[in-house]
Amino acid sequence: MSSRSIDLPQGTLDLLILRTLSLEPLHGWAVSERIQQISSDVLCVQQGSLYPALHRLERRGWIKARWGTSENNRKAKFYELTKAGRRQLEIERDAWEKLTAAVSQILETA
Amino acid sequence: MLHDLFFRLRTLFRRPTAESELDDELRFHLERQIAKYVKSGMSGEKATRRARLEFGGIDQVKDECRDARGISFVETLVQDARYAARTLLRSPVFTACAVLTLALGIGANTAIFSVVNSVLLNPLPYPDPQALLAVRQNDSRPNLKDIQRQTSSFASSGGVNVAPMDFTGTGEPMRVHAAYVDAGLLQTLGVQPMLGRWISDNEDVKGGPRNVVVSYPFWRDFLGSDPHVLGKAIRLSGNSYTVIGVMPSDFSLPRELADVFVSLWVAYPGEAPDRSVHSMHTYWRLKPGVTLTQAQAEIAQVDRRLSEQFPETEQERGTVLIPLHDYLVGNLRPALLILFGAVGLVLLIACANFAMLLMARAVARQRELMIRASLGAKNSRLIRQRLTESTLLALVGGAVGLLVAKLGTMFLLALKPAALHRFHAIPIDARVFAFVFSTSLLTGLLFGLLPAWSASRSDIAEALRANQRATGIEVSRSLLRSVLITAEVALALVLLAGSGLLIKGFLRLRSVNPGFNPANVMTIYLQLPPTRYLQFQLQTNFRRELLARINALPGVEAAMITDIPLSGNFVDHRVVFDGRPTPAVGTEPEVQTLSVMGDYFRVMQIPIRAGRDFLPTDREGQPLVAVVNEAFVRQHLPGQNPIGLRIDWTNEPHKWMTIVGVAADVKYSGLNQPVDPAVYAPFSQNDEAWRRWMTLVIKTRAPIAGLVEDVKKQVWNMDSQIPVSDIQSMDDLLTVSVAQQRFNMLLLGIFAALAVALAGVGIYGMMAYRVNQRTHEIGVYIALGAQNRDVLRLVMKDGARLALLGIALGLAGAIALTRVMVSLLFEVTPTDPPTLIGVALLLAAVALLACYIPARRALSIHPMTALRCE
Repeated sequence: MSSRSIDLPQGTLDLLILRTLSLEPLHGWAVSERIQQISSDVLCVQQGSLYPALHRLERRGWIKARWGTSENNRKAKFYELTKAGRRQLEIERDAWEKLTAAVSQILETA
Repeated sequence: MLHDLFFRLRTLFRRPTAESELDDELRFHLERQIAKYVKSGMSGEKATRRARLEFGGIDQVKDECRDARGISFVETLVQDARYAARTLLRSPVFTACAVLTLALGIGANTAIFSVVNSVLLNPLPYPDPQALLAVRQNDSRPNLKDIQRQTSSFASSGGVNVAPMDFTGTGEPMRVHAAYVDAGLLQTLGVQPMLGRWISDNEDVKGGPRNVVVSYPFWRDFLGSDPHVLGKAIRLSGNSYTVIGVMPSDFSLPRELADVFVSLWVAYPGEAPDRSVHSMHTYWRLKPGVTLTQAQAEIAQVDRRLSEQFPETEQERGTVLIPLHDYLVGNLRPALLILFGAVGLVLLIACANFAMLLMARAVARQRELMIRASLGAKNSRLIRQRLTESTLLALVGGAVGLLVAKLGTMFLLALKPAALHRFHAIPIDARVFAFVFSTSLLTGLLFGLLPAWSASRSDIAEALRANQRATGIEVSRSLLRSVLITAEVALALVLLAGSGLLIKGFLRLRSVNPGFNPANVMTIYLQLPPTRYLQFQLQTNFRRELLARINALPGVEAAMITDIPLSGNFVDHRVVFDGRPTPAVGTEPEVQTLSVMGDYFRVMQIPIRAGRDFLPTDREGQPLVAVVNEAFVRQHLPGQNPIGLRIDWTNEPHKWMTIVGVAADVKYSGLNQPVDPAVYAPFSQNDEAWRRWMTLVIKTRAPIAGLVEDVKKQVWNMDSQIPVSDIQSMDDLLTVSVAQQRFNMLLLGIFAALAVALAGVGIYGMMAYRVNQRTHEIGVYIALGAQNRDVLRLVMKDGARLALLGIALGLAGAIALTRVMVSLLFEVTPTDPPTLIGVALLLAAVALLACYIPARRALSIHPMTALRCE
């Protein structure tokens, strides 16, 4: 765990997972790697909370799981976004943008 | 939402796979993570440790994943149920008590519910039954036809009159129930014969063919279930009828049973066209889209026309259409709903006991719960577990209750109440199952929640610390227990009051003097076949000869009357008085008319209040005489000496009968019914050849074995084709006439007894528990020199106070609730003070006894043991 990394704010993990999966189907480990990479190691996913989140999203029907072969030729569980998941991603992204815009506005002007 | 459900179910059924998949998935993750660290130059061992550390507890993650997948709800339920079953089996006494309590409550409810279900909720066994209407008054065939012609609201209509017919030709002559119908009846009811066909319109005419449709039981029992029966002939009342159809096995007329169906026109060409013979029950089927109000308005118009056209007989027309279902069950509804309400109260009491049992158990298991709580079990989880336990108990109780209900319905049917006369069996169908299941589930959840919640609410840690008795838990529980006990007593009192009123009403009813002495009186109904006894004189000869033969039997006194009291039958005539202006045609008062032969009044011990009895010389060819009852004098001849006055029916010209005597009133329509004016006249003088029936009343000093056989022999010596089958003692008739009241009383009585017993057990349980809790205190009290009396007072004070409070509340409730019973009570007001006081005292006695027994135990507490037990 890098000392520069910060923990994810509450409720953003779902959004990040959905966004990550919207590019291509990935297995759980790859999801956490991808988030870390793209955020330039700033964001670090607590691995203990990644899997419950994945299972929760699957139950909601936003992602679905399929067993496939990983890049190192191992059996792995791949998650991909469903149509409902895509819609949900838009909704959460929208909400997030509104939130951050509002927060930064307050930070800049107040 | 749906997706969620499917997902959960799939996980549940694919559990082993899901588990191993979860393992695989997490292992894969760890392996990749370790590989990554190794690649970055760590040693294998270090990499493994690092990865594990970062990942956190694998089991915890798995748990959270299971939670996230939603496995846990169902899985915990199964787990809890298994745990509950194990712990319940470990305390069999508690389990048996709880299950039995609920089984009684739920069973009694289910029994009554299945009756309500069969009688009130199940639709009539005819297609589209909402469109079927009935009429309270009987009508004649010509009127029925006129209404059919002059209205357009009805898709079809039909009438039926059930009367006996003699079936001869196979062994003993049999009296069968014949339905005299018109062709429209079956179409109206919407039923088709199982074999053959129904009577067609062009056969239902004067001089039509003698065809008969038979019922399924008749076909099975008398025609040997012959599949080729169509076209065969059977003999009915001396005539040959051709069988043209067999009805389905589940068919019955709305109101009565019938063995054979014949056209009224064909069987009674004389009676059928007579507008004044109102003998048919009529049924009507509304056209689709026509409302009851519209049909009623239309029929009222026809009524008006008919009464203008035929004032002599149709003056008082007032046809009222009633939905058939209402007509059939309308008068049963109040009794059944009251019984249903009463049995609901029994269930509430059973539930209160159930809750108290659970609470007592919770106390016994307090330590176990505390330990589990301190080991980290969540409060909600503990509550859930106990709810599972109580629900499991309730469901088992419900299952046993079904058994109780099955026995209960058999018992109810054995009581033969009027309400159930249509039923041979009361089915326990899907609706009853749903009722039991939902009642049990609700009971388990609701009454399990109460104690579970009161136990877990308080701070467990505090309870752990303080091992003494008066903790917060104990106080709130004791309050809940007091409320439950008070409620139980109050409910039991309401039930007791209701059944007390019914019992009192029933005793009043049974003590009503029927006006005759039923002891050792046997009645036998006979009917002369029209073919051989068409002439009036032949009938008189037969009667006179038969009566002489029976009176010649040793130890027997016999007489005859057309219709016996309480049989539900009599003939009405309009009466006019000699010397009074004749009222407008059709407005003459109606009276019951009864023909008698022999010493009827003496045999039945009906006192003659004035004048004389009939004499053997009052016969054909002699001056016409009549005996009237007291009601007749009260209503039509008040303040006059009736002896010597002359009356007649509306004959032209008049054939005046002289009143020679006044007989005491007899309850004809039922013990709870007023007595109507009645006129008795000798059979031999009434010249009404259509009165072909008669009932022999035979009084013996003691029951005579073989009497019935002797009478049958005498009848068949005279005419071997006359059926002798309706044989009843007058005592039985009296019993049957009050069967519905007896049913109501017995049932409510049983419920009240059950309620009192349950409440008694509840009080006893609470007191025993309290004494147990206070052993120490009582021991000290005794050690300080308290007398037995003081100890008893100390212990019983609580229970007695709650019981008295419950009785007071129950009295208030009874006064408010027994009002709904007015229609079931006979000469008792619903707030009858002696009854209310009586039941209050009875319940107080039971409550005191229930307090006293455990209090007695307190006396035997030895101070030393009590002090040591801390």
